[in-house]
Amino acid sequence: MSKKYRQWVKEYQDQAWTVARYILKDAQEAEDATQEAFVKLWDNRDNIDPDKIKPWLMRVTRNGCLDRLRRRKDNVQFDESHMAGEASGPMQDLAATETGAWLKRAIGGLKEPYRSLVVLRDVNQHSYEEVAGMLELNLAQVKTYLHRARKQLREQLSEVRP
Amino acid sequence: MNKYDEKWEEQINALLDGELSADGAELLKAEATDDRELARAIIEAYQLQQVMDTVKVERAPDSLRKRLRAIPAGQQPKPAFSFFQPRWAMALASIPLAIIAISLMQPETPTESEIAQARQEMAIAFAYLDKAGAITGREIESTVGQTMANAVTGSVNKAIQSQNLNSKEKKV
Repeated sequence: MSKKYRQWVKEYQDQAWTVARYILKDAQEAEDATQEAFVKLWDNRDNIDPDKIKPWLMRVTRNGCLDRLRRRKDNVQFDESHMAGEASGPMQDLAATETGAWLKRAIGGLKEPYRSLVVLRDVNQHSYEEVAGMLELNLAQVKTYLHRARKQLREQLSEVRP
Repeated sequence: MNKYDEKWEEQINALLDGELSADGAELLKAEATDDRELARAIIEAYQLQQVMDTVKVERAPDSLRKRLRAIPAGQQPKPAFSFFQPRWAMALASIPLAIIAISLMQPETPTESEIAQARQEMAIAFAYLDKAGAITGREIESTVGQTMANAVTGSVNKAIQSQNLNSKEKKV
């Protein structure tokens, strides 16, 4: 087994999983999508610039997830029940330390590319430059879209405040 | 819907990202003293950032970790469960997985003190938000400055001071 591959798995499996989980909103499918991305990484390990493994992997993971969404017949309606610690009543739960769960659901409700942007930048903490590379957008687009996404989340947060 | 000029949206985000210049931060603060909606937007942005800080990268489940480690051995992607399995078998199989998942979630469960602190912070933030909505003009400036400095988060002032310091260091 490739030592490099082991290292990549160790470093990026959680981030790739997080991206897949937020986009697909289905744990089982997210596992499959993440595994597919790593299979592609293994198959292309000799062709990818080692310095660009992370953006490459995140882009492949996201694209795989979006392909799966397109194939879903019911991609408009999604099942949120898998979301760990999901809040059933945003207002009460917000005050009862369910803020994280509320935010996960709110992020999951964003449209693409806003959702991916928030996950990659604000959850996974990638730099703007990295996110631009992952989503194949320029820096200005990343910032503009992220501003819009955050504004949507802010407005949702303000709606659920006491 | 906020009515403040959309051009400030970029400034707010730059402030939160620590990318706003000292001059830009001063300008934003000055504008917020006369624009209640902008002041509110800044406070809400800080509140969102606080909530955002509670969301972390999720740990990949052990089942996925095992599958990823097996890839070089020539295994191809396949669903962990077959749809041809009886439903009862899937249900039984999900029980230990659920237990593992719950146990994996435990380290991320906030402590009682964290819960209490989060409640207090949110209560203060919302209280200031209401206060900001009830006053105007100079009072907003006061509210924005003090709440952000002392209660809501790191504060605009803190950011300005930090950015001023950085720019001074750069000049030196």
